Amino acid sequence: MPELTLVQAINLALAHEMAADERVLVLGEDVGVNGGVFRATEGLLQRFGRSRVIDTPLAELLIAGMSVGLAAEGFRPVAEIQFSGFIYPTLDQIVNHASRLRNRTRGRLTCPLVLRSPCGGGVHAPEHHSESPEAMFAHVPGLRVVIPSSPSAAYGLLLAAIRDPDPVVFLEPTRLYRAFKEEVIDDGAAAPLDACFTLREGRDLTFVTWGAMTRDVLAAADALAADGIKTTVIDVATLKPLDIKTILASVEKTGRCVVVQEAPLTGGFGAEIAARLAEQGLTSLLAPVVRVAGYDTVMPLPRLESRYMPGKGRILAAARRVLEFA
Amino acid sequence: MKAFALPDLGEGLHEAEIVAWHVSAGDHVVADQPLVSMETEKAVVEIPAPWSGRIAKLHGQPGDRVAVGATLVEYEEAATGDIGTVVGTLPQGATVASTAAAEPPGERVPTGIKATPAVRALARKLGVELGTVAPSGADGLVTRADVERAARALSEAGPPEPLRGVRRAMAGSMTRSHAEVVPATLTDEADVEAWSDKADVTVRLARAIVAACRAEPALNAWYDGKAVARRLHKKVDLAIAMDTGDGLFAPVLRNVETRDPADLRRGLDAMKRDVLARTVPLEELRGATITLSNFGTLGGRHAALVIVPPQAAIVGAGRIVPRIVAVNGQPVARRLLPLSLTFDHRAVTGGEAARFLRAMIADLAMEE
Amino acid sequence: MWLNTESGGVRKNASSGEAHIAMRMIASFEIPYRQFLGPEGRETETMPAFARDPAALLPLYRAMVLTRTFDSKAISLQRTGRLGTYPPCLGQEAIGVGLASAMEPNDVLLPSYREQAAQLWRGVSPLEILLYWGGDERGSDFAGPRHDFPICVPVSSQAPHAVGVALAMKLKGERRVAVCCLGDGGTSKGDFYEAINLAGAMQLPAVFVVANNQWAISVPRSAQTGAVSLAQKAVAAGIPGEQVDGNDVIAVADAARRAIETARSGGGSTLIEAITYRLADHTTVDDARRYRDDSEVSRHWELEPIARLRRYLTEKGAWSKADEERLLVDCAAEINAAADRYLAIQPQPPATMFDHLYAQLPAEYAAQRQEAAAEADEHA
Repeated sequence: MPELTLVQAINLALAHEMAADERVLVLGEDVGVNGGVFRATEGLLQRFGRSRVIDTPLAELLIAGMSVGLAAEGFRPVAEIQFSGFIYPTLDQIVNHASRLRNRTRGRLTCPLVLRSPCGGGVHAPEHHSESPEAMFAHVPGLRVVIPSSPSAAYGLLLAAIRDPDPVVFLEPTRLYRAFKEEVIDDGAAAPLDACFTLREGRDLTFVTWGAMTRDVLAAADALAADGIKTTVIDVATLKPLDIKTILASVEKTGRCVVVQEAPLTGGFGAEIAARLAEQGLTSLLAPVVRVAGYDTVMPLPRLESRYMPGKGRILAAARRVLEFA
Repeated sequence: MKAFALPDLGEGLHEAEIVAWHVSAGDHVVADQPLVSMETEKAVVEIPAPWSGRIAKLHGQPGDRVAVGATLVEYEEAATGDIGTVVGTLPQGATVASTAAAEPPGERVPTGIKATPAVRALARKLGVELGTVAPSGADGLVTRADVERAARALSEAGPPEPLRGVRRAMAGSMTRSHAEVVPATLTDEADVEAWSDKADVTVRLARAIVAACRAEPALNAWYDGKAVARRLHKKVDLAIAMDTGDGLFAPVLRNVETRDPADLRRGLDAMKRDVLARTVPLEELRGATITLSNFGTLGGRHAALVIVPPQAAIVGAGRIVPRIVAVNGQPVARRLLPLSLTFDHRAVTGGEAARFLRAMIADLAMEE
Repeated sequence: MWLNTESGGVRKNASSGEAHIAMRMIASFEIPYRQFLGPEGRETETMPAFARDPAALLPLYRAMVLTRTFDSKAISLQRTGRLGTYPPCLGQEAIGVGLASAMEPNDVLLPSYREQAAQLWRGVSPLEILLYWGGDERGSDFAGPRHDFPICVPVSSQAPHAVGVALAMKLKGERRVAVCCLGDGGTSKGDFYEAINLAGAMQLPAVFVVANNQWAISVPRSAQTGAVSLAQKAVAAGIPGEQVDGNDVIAVADAARRAIETARSGGGSTLIEAITYRLADHTTVDDARRYRDDSEVSRHWELEPIARLRRYLTEKGAWSKADEERLLVDCAAEINAAADRYLAIQPQPPATMFDHLYAQLPAEYAAQRQEAAAEADEHA
């Protein structure tokens, strides 16, 4: 059985869909000859040629904007942004155009593009390479925001994203790219979008998380289980649109919720989840919804990075706080 | 308004027909900008604006004939203000917003009970009043376990019985009294050895109260806490506490100071009859200046009783019991009547209370 | 040839015998300017073939007059509170008509927000343009040119779209062209540079038409860049750039035809700078007197595009007074009818705010959609 890393799973999904659908294009900086700086597009140029895999000039705004033009003319562009810190120039084209093209033309023109980018820290990278921008995109009407937490999730979710008729921002946790392997079968089966995945079930507490933090949450869940505390772990996967029903149903059973995000605390996506739980699940709650998050500081350079990143310790402390509340 | 008239178009024409306007009212035009196309014999000509300025009004519609010299266009005289934008319409207002806060809403005293929404919902579901639950959580938090414990206790106690009628009224008036009155109680005993066996205890007590009211009128008064004022009464309207199967009644014997014992006894009997028959009119229950509770008929010695505002005092009489007392250093058996005087210390001093009681005791000690 | 390269050689120093590379020019550039019809309505250069017969110019004239009639009406509607903020194209009719007349129906136009002339030629209806500025999304659901992009408000952001569209055409092997319009202000923006750069790098079938009307709201062209011309920004992208008199519809059409043919046949991209003047305010809410002199505007009325063509056609005997009258009346009738239809259209029901958000509205938003549909308009 093929065991792949997350980045290999991305590569597999891209290859699969490019073979299945001739409208699918890959474009970005260094994606062709070099196979992408993280090797996500390795081998695609050789297999599909220069008219399907395009090495663009160094211009992120252009990459996003030309993808809008390509999508309007019937292609399914999968554009790569090389590093998380370089995604910000694309905001203008994604927010002002990609997210709105269908709406402002009443469906006459549509924008089925995927914007892929690594996200998150924990890889001792230089400045600007460890961003967690998911909350910014999740705030934009008309977009989908998807973050896989494992190789199998990455394969299925990327297929779904490419096939989706609307724009998808697909953020890949950098530190999971090669962190572990999973069995991934190249069956072309897309994972459901707009749905949370429940990775563990337990009636004492609900963890809600996404991306790389999922691994740390699972480790914390194991530690709690050893103490006889059984927790549910929900991987949000699609942040927007949010499947709040799954989260609510779990909190109804457990009454306690800890949201874990790597991104800075204030205005992060965890706030949205906590607000909805307060609005729709108040009488189920036995304790406040606690968020574990990065500090409201700039991600420090590598020497202090490990002091910034939330980990098992902070997650367990939050869990204990919530369990011991009342 | 500055008017622009149709100029002489040549060709010996006196008028021309408007074919199409090229500007609108409100437009800012510049000199030489075409305002309108007009048809003459030979051509369709564009008439240029003579000056720069803002067009106030256009005269004539396409198809209209305009005479040479007639007003074609009017310009605005005054300069128009700066709208202050290049897109959209900004609401313009001249009002100055006040920064004063709005009237604070009516006092809403927080109950101060700490409980999570789930625990509150549980309490509601189990019929537990959160205020009655002893919190065991940190910082006074009522926990789920606390609520469940309270619910168990309640279920063992049986369903609550809502109070009605006289009992309900008593609960209300006692609560009000507790909220307003500042009570203090003085106790003593009267030596009633001299009384015959047929002594009418209630009447003797009523007479003693009258005597005491004469000695110390401060206790026969109404006190108004809001006005901080008291009203001393000359007459003594004495409320007599009566315990019935339906609850506590206190009908009022009027003008006790003017009535002889037989009259008082008749009055008491009539009151008792009416109360038991529930035919006491409402006025008979109101307006007492002082109250007597002769609970000794049932039992008990001394009591700190509850004053009924606006009264300033209530007298309690306990059971007459023989007791050994010292007389001239020798133990002697004497019948003693325990007395309790609860007074509103806002209106009555301890000295006044003491003198009142002493006067009562002196009157009660007499044989007749 | 617009680009010169000179090669140098290794020259031996006569006295020392050392060899060194001589200083040489590796690139220089030339930007041509073209005009065929001067402001007085006279031929200033031999007419290009397509324009030799004046009758061939009549559709261009009619289209410019229709555009101006529409523009006037739109302004009038705004002044009477029946249209939102509107950007007039007064004085720029020749650019839109000239470039659009050189396009094929299945080419793609990517306008800025001042391309009424080009859009009307391409089959966007006056009603649709009024709906857009009247605040209704249905105005961008063109019944005519289904592939043209809608009006673009964030300046220059249509330029990356244009090269994406052009790349799509090239990848599909289609003989179609993307025509991107922007203004002088737009050429200062990163979007523009990045787009023409790609157009040059990949030899894309794209034509960029810069309508240089001398003003970016209140910022004059001289403050916009240190470059002598906007056309020469093409040099940095490795594509040809040329200037035309933007008020000469023949010069615009000529340049557009050549550029579009080059693009269509795989010859790559061109930048055309059309020189004109913004005769009206930036929008109906702007007051240009705050930053420019009326006398300057008056002077530019002498250069305007419609009068000069009318003079030319009249002198050639191709246009009569009766023609002019009939045209003005016909245009008024057409535009007034469109305005009447626009005024009669009811706003879309509020639930339609959700209907084109995604291909299928996610369950998450169903409750909001219902709420929007049920609530009364609290701002009415």
